[in-house]
Parts: sequence; C-alpha cells; structure tokens
Amino acid sequence: MFLQQLINGLTLGCVYALIALGYTMVYGILQLINFAHGEIYMLGAYLGVIGLGLAQSINQTGFSPLTLIILLLLFAVIFTALWGVAIERFAYRPLRYAGRLAPLISALGMSIFLQNFVMLSQGAREKVFPNLLSAGGFDIADARVSTVQALIFIISIAMMVGLTLLVKHTKIGTAMRATSQDRLMAQLCGIDINAVIAMTFAIGSGLAGVAGVLVASYYGMINFYIGYQAGLKAFTAAVLGGIGNIPGAMLGGVLLGLVEAFGAGYVSSQYKDVYAFIILIVFLIFRPGGLLGERVVEKV
Amino acid sequence: MKITSRIILMALCLAGLFTGCAERGKSVKIASIAPMTGESAKMGEDISHAVQLAVDEWNAKGGVLGKRIELLVEDDRADPKDAVSVASKVVAQGVVGVVGHYNSSCTIPASNIYHEGDVVMITPASTNPMVTDRAYFTVFRTCGRDDQQGYVEAEFAANYLKASRIAVLHDKTTYGQGLADEFKKNILGRGEVVFYEGIARGDKDFTAVLTRVKSYNPDLLMFGGLYGEGGLIAKQMRDLGLTCPLLSGDGVFDPEFIRIAGAAAESAFLSYAPSAENIPTAQHFLKAYRARWPEVGPYSLFAYDAANIILKAIELSGATNGKKIAEAIHTNAFDAAIGKIAFDGKGDPVVAPYVMWVVKNGKLEPMQ
Repeated sequence: MFLQQLINGLTLGCVYALIALGYTMVYGILQLINFAHGEIYMLGAYLGVIGLGLAQSINQTGFSPLTLIILLLLFAVIFTALWGVAIERFAYRPLRYAGRLAPLISALGMSIFLQNFVMLSQGAREKVFPNLLSAGGFDIADARVSTVQALIFIISIAMMVGLTLLVKHTKIGTAMRATSQDRLMAQLCGIDINAVIAMTFAIGSGLAGVAGVLVASYYGMINFYIGYQAGLKAFTAAVLGGIGNIPGAMLGGVLLGLVEAFGAGYVSSQYKDVYAFIILIVFLIFRPGGLLGERVVEKV
Repeated sequence: MKITSRIILMALCLAGLFTGCAERGKSVKIASIAPMTGESAKMGEDISHAVQLAVDEWNAKGGVLGKRIELLVEDDRADPKDAVSVASKVVAQGVVGVVGHYNSSCTIPASNIYHEGDVVMITPASTNPMVTDRAYFTVFRTCGRDDQQGYVEAEFAANYLKASRIAVLHDKTTYGQGLADEFKKNILGRGEVVFYEGIARGDKDFTAVLTRVKSYNPDLLMFGGLYGEGGLIAKQMRDLGLTCPLLSGDGVFDPEFIRIAGAAAESAFLSYAPSAENIPTAQHFLKAYRARWPEVGPYSLFAYDAANIILKAIELSGATNGKKIAEAIHTNAFDAAIGKIAFDGKGDPVVAPYVMWVVKNGKLEPMQ
C-alpha cells in the first residue's frame, strides 16, 4: 500500500509541479500572482479534446497512440502559449505600472471570464477524453503503475529538465533571469523586456497546457471548472517551494502531491484539501519565503 | 434636439413602467430554479428545459385561467446562500409556483422562504428526507426520498449481491451522505460496513482513498454522491485492481457516468425510478423533449411533472394564491407523465418506486 500511495502521490505531484512552474515564473518576473493560470491548464485540457477530434477527422485510419499524444501535446502547447501571451498583452500589460492590486484583480477577472467563456462555448457538460493508451500497466511489487501514470512521469520530468536547461544555458533564459532580478537594469542593457515577459507567459502557459492534456488523458473527464482547484493547489505548491524559484516549484508540487496522497491514504480522505491548505497557511506564517526561497537582502 | 430626445426617452421609460404593471395582471409567473452555472450546470439545463416544455405546451393551449404563463429561469449556483437570495427574489417578483431546487442543501434553506411567502415549491430532484419532514404546506417533491432509496439499495445488497464486507464512500453533501447513512442503517446486521469515509466534491483523484478501500478487501463498494465523482471512482477503482461491484443511487444515474467511466462502468448497480421508456404515459414527453434537445436528463421527467402539477393545480383551484394551489395539490391526484401522482400530508408522492438498474454493454438497463 505504501508503494501504491507513493505512486499515486508522485503522479499528482508531477501535475501540480507543471502548473506551479507557470505561477512561479510569472511571479519571478512581474511579482504578479497570475490567478488566471489555472484556467490556462483547463484550456489545455479542452484543447486536448478538440485536437483529438481534429486528428480523428483528418486521419480516419488513426495515428498510433504515442504519435497522437505527442501531436495533442504540441497542439495544446501552441494554443495555450498563444492564450498566455494574449492574456498578458490585454489584461496585464496595460496595468503594469498601476501598482500591485490592479493586475491582481485583472487576473481574477480573467479567470472568471475564461471559465464562463469555455462553459458557454463548449457547454456545461463534462467532456470525456477517451483512453488512448492501453488500459494495462505494470506492477512494481504489490503496486500498480498504469501506462498513463508512466507517461505523466516521463513527460513531466522531460519538461522540467528542458526548462532548467533553457533558463540556465540559453540567451532567452539569461534575459529572463536578468529581467527578474532588475527590470530597469535589464532594459538599460538592451533587453526587450516586453518580449521576455511575453516569452515567460508563453512558456509557463505551454507547461500548463501539457499538464491539461496529461490530466485529461489520466482522469478521462474534464469540465470548465477544473482550473479553479488545480490553480489553487499549484499556487500552494509554488508558495511551498518558494514563489519565484523554479526548482522550488517542482519540489513544492511533488511534495504537495505526496502529502495529499499519504494524508488521504493513511489519515482520512475527508480532509484531503485541508492538508494542502494547512501547509499553505503554515508556510505563509513561519516561512513565507518557502523551502528554497532566498531571503531577499535589502539592496543599498 | 437634445431635449426632445430626452423627453422621448422618458416617455418610453414611463410606457415601459405601465406595460410592466399591465403584464403583472395578465400573466402567471412560475420559476425554474436550479444551478445554471458551475459544476452542476448540466442538471440545471435538464430541469429548465423540461419546465420550458411544459410551459410552452400550456401556453399553446391558451395559458392557464386565461392568462399567459411566464417562465423565469433562475440560477442558484448550487450554493445554499444563493438559493436563499434567489428564492427571496422570485417571491418578491410574485411567482406563484417554483420548480426547484436541484441540490438538497439548497432546497432545504430555500423552502423556508417559500413557506413564509406561501409560494408553492415542487422539487424534481432533492431526495433528502428533511425537505418534506418539516411538513410545510406549500412544499412538495415529485422524486423519491433517500430513506426509501437507501432501503432498496440495502435490500439489494443483502439479498441479491449477498455482500458481507461493505465499503461506503460519500461526498459529504446533504444528499450523498444522507443516502450513504440510510444505506448503512438498513444494511447493519446483515452485512458489515468495514470502511466509511467522505471524499471532496470536485476532486478528480480518488486513487489514495481507493487504495485504502482495497486494503480492506470489501466485496461491495457503495457510493453516495453524484455522477462526476461516481464515474471517476468506477474508473480508478478498476485501474487499481479493485474488482468488487459498485452500488450507487440516482445521483449517479446519468449517461455521463458511463461516458466518464467507460468500460469500468460495466455491472455498476444504481437505484433509480422505473424507466421512462417503459412507461406508456411518458412517451409523449420523451418525444417532445427529444425534438428540441438532444438528451433527456435524469430529472427532466420529474421537472416536467412538477411544472404540470403546479399549472394543473392553478387551473383546479382557479386561484393564483399559494395556499389555495397547495390545497389543490394536496387533495387531488394528477395524471402525470410518470403515472398517477398523489401526495401525502408531508408533500411526498404516495408511491415512490425505486428499482435497481445495471450497466450492461454500456447502457443502463432496469433489472427484473
């Protein structure tokens, strides 16, 4: 049972981590909590369903399941990235110098808008995502890992490694780090900060889109409401790891998934959401910087 | 120029006011109140469509008491607080009858408002005993009660499935936990409840709690809750290799349940009203509904009957006064689409039949 709960928790944690990255990257660069980020994840899940319909109408004979998943992921990444950039352009950029509260309220409004937009355009009914991969899986000792769970591990880890390399070793990554450290100085050095911020939104949203498709194929059911709770959990994960800190978001996501799985598995599932939010409160009180958050030294 | 346009505008406003007054005398207002947004929005659509159908049919025949029937579709967002404020709003607007609400947790507080305002309310879907146990004169339901349903499920579990080790999950709502508790009460002595716990509504991942259920080795899993969570539980329990049958109630009874769970829905047992397809009097409703909307929801028939009963009672009593309409509902038997309906002193239908259904080859079928 322990091993099974560990696997359950890791699967959940990988998804939280992918979404938390988007929160943390945007916070790192704009000090804005992008509350519409959960809805981007929801859009990703819907794009998966739409992409599947498109793929089936283009190619009647059908792709192999793996090609299909990769195509769906690409489709969702491209469109969620565009959504992310568009949201930044229209909801946040006009308010960039308007203090911290205005963009925050704009983010909440965006979240409500997106939920209702999807409800009205796609209907209030749950959408079903058919099981693309074989129902089987493999056993480790007495625990069962389904094919979809294995896929979630592999893709999330690949995404996280890719993101780390991108941020550490590429020019755009360097520009992102520079912008997050000092926006004005970065601008003076010739960095187009609007482009960097747009890129940050694109990458963060793309990751949430990946999480959306993975979750749709894991649970097999999505609705326009899934972004709300997933967004709150991922935000908790980002705070837990230290908001603004990229490895922190990954660590926070995985830890949160494990806490939920073990809490529900060994204590009581009645309080599953309570564990996550107790952690949020405890961290906000005792260690607001999070696990890996750096204490900000007052600059003189 | 400016002044003339202002005067015209004012005149228009005044005209609007007067016609508003005139309308009040000419039309009879009834309301359909259910969640139209949020997670249960689909149920609200099913209910309001059925009420719309009934109202349109009456209006085509010339309305009721010679007046046109006006339908207000309101949203309680499945939230008890909103349910109370919407209830106050429609009572203030002078509605004479309400079809709603959907969630027991909304119907119970809202019914206080209808009781105080003497407005007839018939819920098509709230099965919690509390709804009618307070014996409010103007509060009725066309669906059954959880205690009747829990009893039928317990009998089925003990006699047909011969279950001895039973795990019970519920979604902590008035409906879900109420049903689970009634089931538990009725099964005690014949089977052992080895596991009893709540889950969170809206959650998508139940693998942790199901892994724990599996460690108790039950021979039946009973779930009190709705189809979204029910579908995911059916799917995830099979993925985890938990092979015992799943038993649930009318909240899970929805084609969505099978779509979500896929092959894992097979041989799930659900208690629900007898099949509308097999009821001769319901054929007209099924045909008319399907001509306008794709899929008949699980509570559409109850909502259609509720609306028809309110309108028929207005006609019988010849009044638009809540007390008189309620009096007519209490004293008459109605030829409803589901069959003959008469109400007992509390406002429950006298005959509330529940039968067991099973998922076979991806379809819900009534069991013999």
